Amino acid sequence: MADTSLLQGLPASALRSAAPLLLVLLGECLTQRVGRINLGVEGQMLVGAVAGYGVTALSGEPWLGMAAGAAAAALLSAVYALLTVAARADQFASGLAVWMLGLGASAYAGSGLVGLRIEGFAVGAAGLTPTLWLAVALVPLVALWLYGTRTGLAWRAVGESPGAARAAGITPWRVIVAGIAAGGLLSGLGGAALSIDHTRSWAEGMTAGRGLTAVGLVIVARWNPWLTLPAALLFGLAEALSLRLQAGGSAVPAHLLHTLPYIASLAVFAVTCARLEGGGGPAALRAVFAR
Amino acid sequence: MNLHRQLALLAFAASTAAASVAQAATLGYIYVGPEKDYGYNTSMDIGRQYVEKSIAGTKTLHVENIAETAEVEKVMERMIKQGGASIIFATSYGYLDYAIALGKKYPKVAFLHAGGLKTGDNVGTYWANSDDAMYLAGMAAGAASKSGKLGFIAAFPIPQVVRSINAFTLGAQAMNPAATTTVVWTGGWLQPPKEAEATNSLADAGIDVIGEQVDSPMTIAQTAEKRGIYMVGKDVDVSKLAPKAVLTGASWNWGPTMLKLTKEIQAGTWKPSHVRGDLKDGSVVLDPFGPAVPEGVRKTVLAKKDDILKDKFVVWSGPIAAQDGKPVLPAGTKMPMEQLESMNFFVKGVVGTVQ
Amino acid sequence: MNGTQLQRAGLAIAAFAALAGGFFGLIGRGPLEMLQAIVMAAAGSRYAVGESLLRATPILLCALATLVPARLGLVSVGAEGQLYFGALVGTGALLLAPAPSLQLPVVLLGGLVGGAVWALLPALLRVVADVNETISTLMLNYVASLLVTWLVYGPWKSPQSQGWPASIEFPDSARLPLLGDSRVHAGLLVALVMGIVLHLLFTRSRWGLVLDVLRSNPRLAPLAGLSIARQVLLTMAIGGALAGLAGIAETASVQGRLQAAFANGAGLSGFLVAWLAGSRVLPAMALALLVGGLLAAGDGLQMMTSVPSSAVLVVQGLMFVALLGAGGWRSEVARG
Repeated sequence: MADTSLLQGLPASALRSAAPLLLVLLGECLTQRVGRINLGVEGQMLVGAVAGYGVTALSGEPWLGMAAGAAAAALLSAVYALLTVAARADQFASGLAVWMLGLGASAYAGSGLVGLRIEGFAVGAAGLTPTLWLAVALVPLVALWLYGTRTGLAWRAVGESPGAARAAGITPWRVIVAGIAAGGLLSGLGGAALSIDHTRSWAEGMTAGRGLTAVGLVIVARWNPWLTLPAALLFGLAEALSLRLQAGGSAVPAHLLHTLPYIASLAVFAVTCARLEGGGGPAALRAVFAR
Repeated sequence: MNLHRQLALLAFAASTAAASVAQAATLGYIYVGPEKDYGYNTSMDIGRQYVEKSIAGTKTLHVENIAETAEVEKVMERMIKQGGASIIFATSYGYLDYAIALGKKYPKVAFLHAGGLKTGDNVGTYWANSDDAMYLAGMAAGAASKSGKLGFIAAFPIPQVVRSINAFTLGAQAMNPAATTTVVWTGGWLQPPKEAEATNSLADAGIDVIGEQVDSPMTIAQTAEKRGIYMVGKDVDVSKLAPKAVLTGASWNWGPTMLKLTKEIQAGTWKPSHVRGDLKDGSVVLDPFGPAVPEGVRKTVLAKKDDILKDKFVVWSGPIAAQDGKPVLPAGTKMPMEQLESMNFFVKGVVGTVQ
Repeated sequence: MNGTQLQRAGLAIAAFAALAGGFFGLIGRGPLEMLQAIVMAAAGSRYAVGESLLRATPILLCALATLVPARLGLVSVGAEGQLYFGALVGTGALLLAPAPSLQLPVVLLGGLVGGAVWALLPALLRVVADVNETISTLMLNYVASLLVTWLVYGPWKSPQSQGWPASIEFPDSARLPLLGDSRVHAGLLVALVMGIVLHLLFTRSRWGLVLDVLRSNPRLAPLAGLSIARQVLLTMAIGGALAGLAGIAETASVQGRLQAAFANGAGLSGFLVAWLAGSRVLPAMALALLVGGLLAAGDGLQMMTSVPSSAVLVVQGLMFVALLGAGGWRSEVARG
């Protein structure tokens, strides 16, 4: 295999791998910005994937499927909100419980969907599809909203100090629930993008840890929506590279290649933490870690 | 006695007679993945349903998503102790040693393992040799490929998979001696995003026909269709999902084998052995050709199939050379079963590692 | 347990019964019949109890592995990775071919060391570069699992396994003794003993006090002549060693060989158990047994009632939701 063919299509492949992750990343970024860390995004992504796939198969409309996926995942994120806001339960444990619930519920609901054919989105130039453009377009939208609008400011304020925000007339719990819901909607879009667009199929647990990786990559992106794009691309690139090295006939064992995305994320994360105290980020979130 | 009563008595007698004859067994089935995976496990489950319908009164227990770890020993034991199973179908390769160990503990239960090379006093194996069908599918692939570059996406380098890749390549080389097969390992039986990306990266590298051996062909088929390249399926017929892309495929048909074994066990005539079905006895089916296979190629492939069925052609007969060119099987010899079932080398023309 | 705790436990059980019952009703099964089936499958016979205990053992060890760093305020999700790396090093020790009488101690030592090392990596990152341990342990989990997979598919693949990816079998001299005629092995005893020891250390020893002080007010450390860095390394290493023990015990005594992906979620279940127990040892032990029972019942449930495996996962999730929601299992770390 010629080495040049290895690079051909690599950018497109990296983008394709990155798109669903980017959506989840934006969602979790918002959630962490209001001071909550939601490990349940993995389950939310799966629920979004199964709902999106099912609705697309039934209706033939991929965009309807995307909307359904977003709604389903938002519903699951409500469980996380109930647990951490209403019952004031521990964030990590609640996230894991939601993850488990999402994994089981999606597998159960999806067993009848396996093998259904969907048309999905039309493939555009260079093998790229609308979900990628959606994800990329959302990056500046979310960033400008977070940094430029009053509600964005309110969200950031709650993430820094709920007490101070309350003093300024903001109701923290409303903002926190909204932040969790936003994370739900976006993770659902990410999951739906995975099943409707990327693979055009449904299988149990198909997200394979992407949601959990997103939780970590938010930190790599320093809670800045602008930086979620390069962070997601980093991951997508590592994944695309590991598969392509094999396709190019590389003799490096596949399993070692598959560790690339995780080691890459960890390396960037470590360097970021070394430079900034506590790694930066919303103060309320730091309080969760530094208990 | 009036007619009504006579009929009632007759019916009663018949039902009790049937009940005593159909001392139907309870069968236990264990799957490594989801039952409804549109692939390997579904094919095994179809077999289960076939047996259940064929013998009146048969009860089947089925458990899915059991990893190939000690977990399966616990599940099998539970099926025997709490479920009353007298025949266990361990449908995944990695269950073998656990089946043998448990076989020693429960000598009255019959264990049937899919694809193993070891037996016990009450443990037998069953499998179907899909290499013939993969060879034929490879022929169709080799003829369809304009670039001469084929691809293969598979989960793990276990012997069954290595055989498929080699058979596929040999078949393609029969139509195009310069054909190569690039192998990509996904690292798991069911990994749709990796399968989709692997298909894409192979397509980007100029490969235009893809074979596969993962749990289900559906993702690869759909991605191939999206990219406008061709594919060859395995486990189940996937042409419905990708009508343009699918050339043909090698599908399983486990039911008849499972039924035969079950009947033998119940009749007491079963002796543990390695039961191997193949294209000849219908355990493996060459799927119908897709629209991209021209008439001339169909004739050639079917003629070869005929040769195989009539024992005039054997896929695993020499000369066969390894990846580095060294001869593995001299001309005119046939590969013995042990070497076949523990195959861990690639033939010449395959690009990739067996690790 | 005092009065409020009993109340909360009761509330949790009621919440679980309601949620699970609702779910079963939703999928068209009789709630009572299903709940009964779960209980039977988990504890309805000596065999079932044995299976539940077997399942609970690695979960308990991983819960302890999470608990020890948590007493210092560290949030480590790394038990699963430490479990894998412990299994890896323990198997490596076996492959060095020690004499039969030395095999068991060498293998166990390997497990302890391996787990500790894998925990020291994120610990050092935290101490030297202030890298948050939750993220680093999370990432390293995947890496450890992949390393094991690579080894059993490649360099460590047993020549006797006919190409099947697994290491050589562990000889009897390298396995932990079994308890009675069940499959439960001595690892359970070790876990229980370690639990009690840790409980006593946390509540009655100077070290336990040191941990409490550092957790609640890290700034006191230099004033009191205490070193946070030292405690970070120590707690992570101890936790890692326990998870590593779980890994090598599973590998040697339950599986019989090193295989890919054998952990079955023990690490994450352990984490959940630890947090639900509010980082207290005794509730963690009880909860680990409960979770082990539920997971073991899952297979029985699939078999007896023909529900798919995903339904069992949902029930498990509902159980944790119920426990969390009942508010009785807060994340404060209490003394005892």
